[in-house]
Amino acid sequence: MNPTLQFPQIAIRIIKEQALVIGPLAWSEASKVTGLTVDESQNSASFSGDSKDVVNRLVAQYERIFGKASHAVCHDAVQDLISQMSPEEIPSSLK
Amino acid sequence: MATTDTPIDPEEYKKVTEAMYKQNLELARLYKQVEVLNNDLGTANDSLKELIKQRENLVHLVTHKVKGSFTRSKYIFAGILDGTFGEVNTEIKKRAEQGLESDNMGIETVDLVLSVANMQKGIVKYDMKEMNLKEIVEKTISEKLMPAEAKGLKIETEIKEPEYKILGDAFWLKEVINNLIENSIKYSRTGSILVKMIRQDAKVLLSVKDTGIGISDEDKKNLFTEGGRGKDSVKINVDSTGYGLYSVKLIVEAHNGRVWAESEGVDMGSTFFVEIPLI
Repeated sequence: MNPTLQFPQIAIRIIKEQALVIGPLAWSEASKVTGLTVDESQNSASFSGDSKDVVNRLVAQYERIFGKASHAVCHDAVQDLISQMSPEEIPSSLK
Repeated sequence: MATTDTPIDPEEYKKVTEAMYKQNLELARLYKQVEVLNNDLGTANDSLKELIKQRENLVHLVTHKVKGSFTRSKYIFAGILDGTFGEVNTEIKKRAEQGLESDNMGIETVDLVLSVANMQKGIVKYDMKEMNLKEIVEKTISEKLMPAEAKGLKIETEIKEPEYKILGDAFWLKEVINNLIENSIKYSRTGSILVKMIRQDAKVLLSVKDTGIGISDEDKKNLFTEGGRGKDSVKINVDSTGYGLYSVKLIVEAHNGRVWAESEGVDMGSTFFVEIPLI
């Protein structure tokens, strides 16, 4: 699949999985990430700049507040999506 | 409540937040497991509903076919007996009588199974009317005197009050009483049957007590269940369907009543109780 289409899916999957744990806070924390625009009502995310960096920043945003456990949640949430990507396309935080 | 001006240590704050996140994560995992189990349960439930539907359809199909066969052969036997097919000798007449009786029993059984299936589906319409339960009890007893006497059994009654007014369906309640008295006759070799009616609080309590084979503790568990035939009961009544007492239970419950049985054990007789609200 085209990585440009894949990254918004990855971001949405991560946010939704975090929302299962911390509730709507997951969306408000995601909206603070530079280069990421989210719309909870539409379940959508759009990127500006390097998509891989944006995903890494999103993962870091959760980890900064909630610790390593939240990093593992992000990683597990997107396993099926990143398995279809080539290693160089996968954001470092999800490897 | 006491408050403190000491600022929260950022490290402590982070530790607490992370600990809370882990707790929430555990809850989220449990929630997911419950969701999976719920889905599995929903699927199992759907399969079960489908199976029940198939079983109901099968019961209806089989019972209608069987009833049709019984009815056809019943008319053949009846024709032999009433001379439709010409003169027949005594031996053939005897066989035709046996055949007719067997067919009637078969039809009765099929009707019982069909009635229970309809009760379970909730499609039996009870014609609830104000009535005196005593009249139905006495009428049923009068019909059962002969078969009881034929076995050397005595039917006694203890019904003190002139009426026990209830809201009920006379047809189905007669089935209940008929079933209980018939069972008492079937399962008693000697002795007597006592039918008693008393007013208790705002209810009428009907009991049918016999001096029969009694009920073992093991059989008590299956008494009012679908197809629940007692181990000892089949020795006496080989034609037991296991639907009689189950239908009694369904009918009594449809009348907001209660049915139960008591027995001291094997060969100690049994007492069946039916309790229905009075009006």
